[in-house]
Amino acid sequence: MIGAGTKRGTAELAILSVLESGSLHGYEIAHRIERQTRGKLRFTLASLYPLLYRMENKGLVRGAWEVSGNGRRRRCYRLTAAGKKKLLPLRQEWSELFRALRQLAKVADA
Amino acid sequence: MPDWEKLVREQLAGLDLGYQEENEIIAEIVGHLEEAFESFCREGISEQDATRRALAQVADWNDLRRKIYLVRNREDNMEPRVTRFWLPGLLGFALAMILDVASHRFLSHPLVLSLDRGTPILRFHISWILALPLVGAIAAYLSRRAGGTLRTSLLSSIFPVLPIAAVFLVAIPTGLIVGHPIAYGIVAEKILYMALGWVLAPGAALLTGGLFVQRFLSGGSRSGHGVNAGVA
Repeated sequence: MIGAGTKRGTAELAILSVLESGSLHGYEIAHRIERQTRGKLRFTLASLYPLLYRMENKGLVRGAWEVSGNGRRRRCYRLTAAGKKKLLPLRQEWSELFRALRQLAKVADA
Repeated sequence: MPDWEKLVREQLAGLDLGYQEENEIIAEIVGHLEEAFESFCREGISEQDATRRALAQVADWNDLRRKIYLVRNREDNMEPRVTRFWLPGLLGFALAMILDVASHRFLSHPLVLSLDRGTPILRFHISWILALPLVGAIAAYLSRRAGGTLRTSLLSSIFPVLPIAAVFLVAIPTGLIVGHPIAYGIVAEKILYMALGWVLAPGAALLTGGLFVQRFLSGGSRSGHGVNAGVA
């Protein structure tokens, strides 16, 4: 079973990654993650906002009200300097973990 | 299209944040539901099904409200075990001790249990025991509000008797065996009485309060689900 800490770590990485290309509102963040991972990672409203607010508290993202293309006010999130700084080591950390797990799987298969 | 704002406002009622902050959170969630609903409609799904699918993103509004409250109050910066167990437990312990002192000071006729030779081993007031369910309920409520599980909140509700139980389980038997091996058999029965007065009776009273809160909160949660189903 994947623990809450691991899940939160992967979720943070996913959000930071999609925000790297520019500011997005909550629904766009969830939609983009789902699309880019071909549905393998999904954020519901209930899982997304507490995490976004937590990341905002940690200073990784910043939310601000903007008027979107369809004229509606939406709270859009963008990466802060701290968020950008965290993204690279977080990516390395997770890719090392996945590499290690793949190696373990190969050993188990052999 | 459903009245998303009315719906979200109802479900997140009692969020207990500042007026502006609460409105912004509601507006943000309303925006998300609108986007999801319209996206489902664009896929050719009927409005009724689109509403249901948009709402399915929140399985438990009470849980979402609690999480948002915790994050926005930055309580999660503290170690969860502190807010879910230690703080409610210690507060309960302090309240229980204050009530004990107050009952000894202001109320007469304490119940006294004594040894065969008249040495008092226990003095407590029935009024204290009767007040303990409230203490257990407060501790359990605070624990649950901080996101504590059923087990954690029940443990924090009986926290005031845990140190005393530890004394009975470890210190007194050890002291008796090491220091007074002969007297052990004689006072063993009295130790049981003491345990009854200091641990079991107050523990049961505290647990009663804790269980009452669990029942009350789970009842509230169930009614929340009922509203969801009705709206969907």
